[in-house]
Amino acid sequence: MTAELATVPVAHPGAAPAGRSPTTVVLRRTARRTVRSGALWGYVFGAVVVSSAWSYSSIYKTPAERAALAAAFGSNRTTIALFGPAPHLETVAGFTVLKTFLTLTVIGAVWGLLTATRLLRGEEQDGRWELLLAGATTRGRAAAQALGGLLAGIAVLWAVTALLLVVAGRSSRVDIGPGAALFFALALVAGALMFTAVGALTSQLAATRRQAAGYAGAFLGVSYALRLVADSGTGLHWLVWCTPLGWIEGLHPLTSARWLPLVPVGAFTVVVGVVTVRLAASRDIGSSTIPDRDRAAPRLRLLSGQLGLTVRLVRPTLVAWALALAATGLIFGLVAEGAGATLSGSSVHDVFARLGASGGGASAYLGITFLLVAVLLAFVAAAQVTAARSEELDGRLDPLLTRPVARTRWLAGRLGVAVLALTAGATVAGLATLAGAVAGGAHVDGGAVVGAGLNTLAPSVCVLGLGVLAYGIAPRSASLAVYAVVAWSVLVDVIGGIGALDHWVADTSVFHQMAAAPSAPPHWPAIGWMVALGVLSAVAGCAAFARRDVQGA
Amino acid sequence: MADPPVVRTRGLTKRYRGTDALVGLDLEVAAGEVVGYLGPNGAGKTTTIRLLLGLIRPTSGTAEVFGLDSLRDAVAVHRRLAYVSGEQSLWPNLTGAEALHLLGQVQGTVDAGYRDELVGRFDLDPSKKVRAYSKGNRQKVGLIAALASRPDLLVLDEPTAGLDPLMAHEFRRCVGEARTRGQTVFLSSHVLSEVEALCDRVAVLREGRLIEMGTLADMRHLSAVTVEVTFESDAPDLSAVDGVLSASSHGHHASLQVHGPMEPLLRVLAAAGVRQLRSREPSLEELFLTLYGDGDGATGDG
Repeated sequence: MTAELATVPVAHPGAAPAGRSPTTVVLRRTARRTVRSGALWGYVFGAVVVSSAWSYSSIYKTPAERAALAAAFGSNRTTIALFGPAPHLETVAGFTVLKTFLTLTVIGAVWGLLTATRLLRGEEQDGRWELLLAGATTRGRAAAQALGGLLAGIAVLWAVTALLLVVAGRSSRVDIGPGAALFFALALVAGALMFTAVGALTSQLAATRRQAAGYAGAFLGVSYALRLVADSGTGLHWLVWCTPLGWIEGLHPLTSARWLPLVPVGAFTVVVGVVTVRLAASRDIGSSTIPDRDRAAPRLRLLSGQLGLTVRLVRPTLVAWALALAATGLIFGLVAEGAGATLSGSSVHDVFARLGASGGGASAYLGITFLLVAVLLAFVAAAQVTAARSEELDGRLDPLLTRPVARTRWLAGRLGVAVLALTAGATVAGLATLAGAVAGGAHVDGGAVVGAGLNTLAPSVCVLGLGVLAYGIAPRSASLAVYAVVAWSVLVDVIGGIGALDHWVADTSVFHQMAAAPSAPPHWPAIGWMVALGVLSAVAGCAAFARRDVQGA
Repeated sequence: MADPPVVRTRGLTKRYRGTDALVGLDLEVAAGEVVGYLGPNGAGKTTTIRLLLGLIRPTSGTAEVFGLDSLRDAVAVHRRLAYVSGEQSLWPNLTGAEALHLLGQVQGTVDAGYRDELVGRFDLDPSKKVRAYSKGNRQKVGLIAALASRPDLLVLDEPTAGLDPLMAHEFRRCVGEARTRGQTVFLSSHVLSEVEALCDRVAVLREGRLIEMGTLADMRHLSAVTVEVTFESDAPDLSAVDGVLSASSHGHHASLQVHGPMEPLLRVLAAAGVRQLRSREPSLEELFLTLYGDGDGATGDG
């Protein structure tokens, strides 16, 4: 054994082989993981923008329809407050900006803050930095390297988005010039850039990944709220200069591009980055700038068994999701009346009919927004599969399974909690949408709207079941598999919605199977099929889990 | 017929993608025995234990605990045993007290008085959250939870990893108490002295195969000592001295594995101009190299 070991070349501290220097290990590690994720999201960004631009030219064909849209939304205060100013809605560019700019900016910001907190605080919390560093570099330099790695990921996010926009922009239906496409891609990733820096900063302040993400998320929430107030026409428009999201809004890509707001965007990122490195250099590894609450009085109420433990472990995440679903429902409910009013042209009906909605007005609009609720719920379901897997991967399942806890009971318990949480989420989304719709003055059938919330449950139950099957058979690929099901379904449904797919391909999407309630009645056979498929998969997954090896790291 | 042995394996084999983690293990542990399971890292100790616990399936062979199949009857088996892993993973947001409470509840039986006593003896601060614990403190939580359930069988996989010497000593006392109470202990370790101090019988595992099994007296040849000597001038050849199992030298320095009385060696050294002399317990890897060879001629410069 010794002889074998002795033949392995050992890196000398002073003479590192070119390109594989141990002192850049953090940079390479962070870059590798961010770049992969950045490329994926760049593709999503590009696809969303392109599909949105395409759908505009197929929905709003005539100048009259476009004028109607501009009249309804262009000066609608609620719309502007929620999605930002909407000039030039009679053009593809204007519509695309309204539909995608702020939404993708926020998604990019969330991606950035989650990525940064995961790769900085998460890695440190799990003790990986201790192994990596081990004297090879200083804390401050390690943080600077991690920032460099994150920057590489953002560069890739921009490059992939820009590439898709430039290529698709040549199509006559999209018609975005290369220069405008590059600038729009830059504007789209500005949120990711600034909030990656914020996530890196809160990773120094907080002691756990969850706390760090929480602080950064709160900052994003405040930024959004300030911008919302600034854009709500109450004479406080100057507030737009006080929030990162306001600077991004000021870039006005595609419609009337302005470079000046890039100055605060860049300055903010640099300052936050420098402060991050300073803080990292001045603290001990594993510690945080804001003192951590390490002690707590015991709360034993739920801890009388593995089921109670599951509830306690997943509760914070599920409550956060429920709040997000409630906010989403409320916002869509509020704008339903205004949005529904534009859905009067015949070609509009065509497209909505293809997505499954019928009837007119607010109800048809909500039929589409509940599709988004269904997508969010499916992500909740997928995340629960990943959470179960990480209990096993990190070895926290062993203390339970080496005690008198049957594997199937543990997994069934987690499944039961997930189904209850999904049901609660669907109910909350329905009720919040109804509340928003009523407050916004829409005339909708209350029972139908709440029912539409519950209608979104079937796809997520199906996704959950398929995820459990993957977990039982191939635990190492379970996360990938379950997110792939959701991503595929979203992609197929979006493309199917603009009428570019055979129906047998479209039918593979769990969302395509769902009726567009409340504008259409629930499609009971499809609900039955999806739930049955979910339940059967879950049962098979539990059986497979009971028979396989428990696989840790 | 007498009670079945607490642990019995027959031809127990586990293969991972072509690598043999464990090959044809036949092992019996009787009630009330304290058995040490020795082997260098990667020898298959943890694989054996995970098979006994029903966490993984054997490729072939059987594993029985209390006469029950370790996989099929896992829940019934687990009512009577407690297990401590060398890498104790717990839920970071629970406090030590919460984790101990939960583990006791899940186990079903817990001697609360003994648990509280152990918290004191191991000097654990239970109001702290698990994420703030060092590896050693997480290890203590696992040990206390396991010992406090007073199981018929304790399965311990390198349980003192991360414990400081004082706490490792306390751990030995606890295992001694368990033995006195008639509990069976299966202790995997790569620390020879720990096994020597605690165990009635020792099984030695190497590269997935059981190579020796017997009482400590049978294993006396395992208790070698490593002696490192620095001479004033070039090191003499000491391999022929009585009690020296192996010797290697490099310039002024010599490294020896010595077994049995030291006197013959000391007499030679006294006349050889020694500048420095150190002796220590050899690592298992060193011992195995000395005792069983490596097969492809290890160079003696380590």
